[in-house]
Formats: sequence, structure tokens, C-alpha cells
Amino acid sequence: MNPFVKFLSRRAGFLVLTFITFIFIIFLLPRAIPGNPLSTLLSQLFQRAQQNPELIKAVYRQLMEEFGIGKPLHVQFFEFISRTFTGDLGTSISAYPRKVADLVFSYLPWTLGLLIPATLTSWIIGNLLGALAAYKRKTIVDNALLPVFLTLSQTPYYWLAMILLFIFAVVFKVFPIGGAYTTGRIPALTLEFALDFLHHYTLPFLSITLSAMGGWAIGMRVMAIYELRADYVSYADSLGLPDSKILRYVFRNSMLPQITGLALNFGSILGGSLITEVVFSYPGTGFLIFTSLSRLDYPMIQGTFVLLISTLLLANFIVDIAYALIDPRIKTGYTGG
Amino acid sequence: MIPPIVMDLIKIKKLIISLSIFLAIVLAGLIGPIVYPVNPVVMTGPIEQPPSSKYPLGTDRWGRDVLAQLLHGIRNSLSIGLTAAAISLAIGVTIGVVSGFKGGITENSLMLLTDVVYALPSILLMMLIAAYLEERNPFLVSIVIGVTSWPWVARAVRSQILSLKTREFIDMSRMAGLGDLRIMFEDLLPNMASYIFMAFVLLMSGAMIAEAGLSMIGLGVTRGISLGIILYWAQLLEAVRRALWWWFIPPGVCLVALATSLLLLSTALDEYFSPRLRGE
Repeated sequence: MNPFVKFLSRRAGFLVLTFITFIFIIFLLPRAIPGNPLSTLLSQLFQRAQQNPELIKAVYRQLMEEFGIGKPLHVQFFEFISRTFTGDLGTSISAYPRKVADLVFSYLPWTLGLLIPATLTSWIIGNLLGALAAYKRKTIVDNALLPVFLTLSQTPYYWLAMILLFIFAVVFKVFPIGGAYTTGRIPALTLEFALDFLHHYTLPFLSITLSAMGGWAIGMRVMAIYELRADYVSYADSLGLPDSKILRYVFRNSMLPQITGLALNFGSILGGSLITEVVFSYPGTGFLIFTSLSRLDYPMIQGTFVLLISTLLLANFIVDIAYALIDPRIKTGYTGG
Repeated sequence: MIPPIVMDLIKIKKLIISLSIFLAIVLAGLIGPIVYPVNPVVMTGPIEQPPSSKYPLGTDRWGRDVLAQLLHGIRNSLSIGLTAAAISLAIGVTIGVVSGFKGGITENSLMLLTDVVYALPSILLMMLIAAYLEERNPFLVSIVIGVTSWPWVARAVRSQILSLKTREFIDMSRMAGLGDLRIMFEDLLPNMASYIFMAFVLLMSGAMIAEAGLSMIGLGVTRGISLGIILYWAQLLEAVRRALWWWFIPPGVCLVALATSLLLLSTALDEYFSPRLRGE
């Protein structure tokens, strides 16, 4: 078999395994946890039954059906997994009878629209600054940058969000206090809406970019320090190659591990940005989770996590493959030399 | 006699700075509630007072003393961080040591498990598990954080073991007829004590940040107080919009200072133990 195909199928196998494990966890949680969260939810529904008996009965039937209550566990699991693979994530309770998948899909673009640009920007700027700090080691530049990187990397996104919000929206009223656009406006492809959108976008974008940047810079700094001491650097130096050229080599070589880091850290950045959405009342999936939690809308919470994690696993898979195509060392690994 | 290693360590500036910051906050959490005996959950004053001599950090929406909340919050966040880190470390080290030492199918299956859990982002797993727990006490939150944060430790410990187990002293133990368990825990583990300590420090700072994150999205401890819970209420009751800065700035500063000092501490130790990074 073509070694690359072999590598690809191994990674794909791992992707499927991870996904099934995750689905299994999601399936098991509401059923295995003592105190049964579902029964709490059902009794809460019954208490509200006086207000709107017909609706509550319909929701109740839907829940019984979707969670397969009363059926044997393995039947429940196979029903659950086949529904998930066909994209049916159940019905929302708080927004009954709307489907979870439809609702999550309407929130997902906001999350991705915030997450992807912020992650990439932080990655690029963080790597550049980290390489600069490594190159300027033992100078004032590094001594000033390093504490900033360390502190930023340990600053929770949402707290930085609160601080930025306080400074730029409350003390100096330069940016709006929250939301993705001015309430009452209808999203449209007009310049006016775009400006309004960017105005609301700036602070959430900055809080995620700044906090995520610290970690990248620290990683790159260490990597580049190691690399700067490699033999080829002193060799190139003794040949009289210009500094800028050597730096380019060093940068490229230190960059490779950072690409894997990008795949690995997508998850934690996503987690942080979900909470940041709550601070800004930004209409993404984090805000959706936050509001669903207070209404005990388990199908909605479950569905949101399924979609988020599937997106993430798929993104990691793509980065993995792209990385294997770029890095000659891995290429030798799968072609066997 | 002071052992020479202590003398060496004292000379590291990073280590001294990070330890002082960390210990100062720890002391505030341990002794603070005794020196400043105000009940953090009882309304003791007028609502939303800015800092004054009577209320050094002001009061919140229910007239609760923010400084008292902060001191108790530090204490609880630290204990959640410690417990969660201990749980992660126990799982990670066990899996790492056993898989690295045993090899074969044991290693393959344990590493597959580690890789699968590693691929699932821990903060999302935590949120998911916590969402199904109705009553979340501090210990339960520690468990949720602990059981999701260990994979990187398992991987790192395994690779350390792989290089350690080819050393001669291990062969000696084998020749002496020692069992696997004794070799693993008496020969291999003590040789990576410094490394495991660094992992613990990082796990602890990660766990404290994770606790705050869970609290912020509404999944923290259901009763009691922590740095994250203070931030959660401040956020929910719009402290930022209404410029009640004394309510949300101090808990965040403490959290960042705790986490940063721990990271700095582990960096300092790392540089001490692997001279390549120190760089002359």
C-alpha cells in the first residue's frame, strides 16, 4: 500500500475512534450520574405543567422518545449513535419544538468567526514576538517581553475581556458594551452593518488574541533558543551568511512544532472563547450553552458539544495531514526513509 | 548545614520572585480569614459600597464583604487546585510509568487511551461532565478537573521512563531480582522527582484557571465561594457595566498572580535542571 495512504487511514481510524469514544461519554453521562439529571428535568417539567399542559406533555413524550427511556441500554446507544451520525441532535426543550441542530448551526458561525481569526492572529504575532525575544536574548527586549508573555499566557480570556470592557466601554466609551451588532439591526451585507459589526467585534477579538498570544510566544521563544544553538547556525555563521538569512532558517525550523501546537491548542482556545462570549453576550455557542444551562435544556447542551467537538476533531485531522505533507521528517516516517 | 542545592536555588532570581508571590497569596488565603474574621456569605453592610476603611474592598450586590470573599475564595481555589492536580498527577504518572516500563500491548492500549483523551479538549469535557452534576461541591469539581487533565502528564512521564529504563542501575535491580512494582516506584520514580514536581506545579495552575472558567459559564461549585464564583456573580450582576471595579478586578488579579507565579516557578526549576535552557 502507498505509505501515505496508510498514514492517512491510520489517522482517519484514530479520528473515528476518538469520535465514538466522545459520543459514548455523552451518551453515558446523563444515564450514569447519580441523581439522574433527566428525572430532575422531568419533574421540573411536571411542575410547570399547569401553565401549558399540552406543550409540556409533548415535550415530555419527545424526551422519552429521544432518550429512549425504558429501552435496553445497548438499543439506546445504537439509536443514539445512528441519530448523531445522520445529524439529528434531538429537539430543544426551552425552544420546543425547534431542532437542536438548526439552533446550534445558527450560533456556530459567530463562534467560528471569532475563534478562527483570533487564533490565527495570535499565532502569527505570538510566534514573531517569541522569535524576536529569543534572538534578543539577554537584552532589554527579552527581559521586557518575557514577563508580559508569561502573564498573558496565564490570564483567563474572560477576565481580560472584563478588564478591556471596563476600560474601553465603561470608562472611555469607545466600544459597545456587548452583543455582536446593535440591537434591532438586521444582519445584512451593507457597509453600515459591517462597520457596526466590526465595532462590536474589536473587544472580543482583542481579548482572545492577546491572551492566546502569550502561550505561542513562550513556546516559540524556547524553540528558537534551542535552534539558535544548533550546529548549522554556527556553521552558517562561520560561512559568513547574513543574520537575516540565518534567522529565516531558524524561524522556519522552530515553526514546525508550533503547527502541531496549533492543532493541540484549538480546543483550549475554543473553551476560553466560549466563556468570553458570555462576558460580551456575543451570540455564539458559548452564550447558547450558558443560557441552556440555566434552563436545564440537556438536548441543547449535548448537541452543542457534539457539534463543537466534531468540528474540532475534524480541524485537528486536517492540520495533522497538512503537517505531514510539510514536514520532511514525518514524511520519512511514513515512507520509511 | 544547608545542602548545596538550596544555596544554588536561592541564587535563581526567577525562583525567588515566583515563590514570594505565590507564598504571599497562599498566606493571605490561609491566615487572612483568621486575621479578617468577616463572614463572606452573610450580608454585613450596605450594598455595592466602594472600598472604604470599613470595607477595604467594598461590598457586592447583597452587601457581602468583597475582601472576606476574596480571602476565602483564594483558600478554596487553592484547595481545588491542589486536589485536582493530585488526581491528575496520580492518573498521569501511573499510566506513564506502567506503559513506559511494561511496553508491548499494555503500552499500546494505555497510550491509545491517552491519545484519545488528549484529542478531546479538557475544558470542554469538564463543562460537559459538570453540566450533568446537580450539586457540585469543591471535591466533585476537583475530580471533574482532575480526570480530564492528565494525558499530557502520562505522555511526558512515559517518554522519561523510556530513556531511564535503559540505564544500568535498572539492570542491577533486575539482577537483584526486584519485582516490576518495586523497580517502577523505588528506582524509576525517584529519579524523576524534579520533573514530577514541575508537572504538579503546572497542573495546579491549570486547575485553578479551569475552576474559574467552569464557574464563569455557570458550572462551578454550587455552594460556597472561590475566585471563579466571585467573578461569576460579578459578571451575572453586570459589575463591569456598572463600573463596580472592586468586585471583579481583585479576584482576577489574584488568579493571574497565582497562575503566573506557578508557571514562573516551573520555568525556573526547568532552567535549573536542564542547563541547555539557561544558556551562557
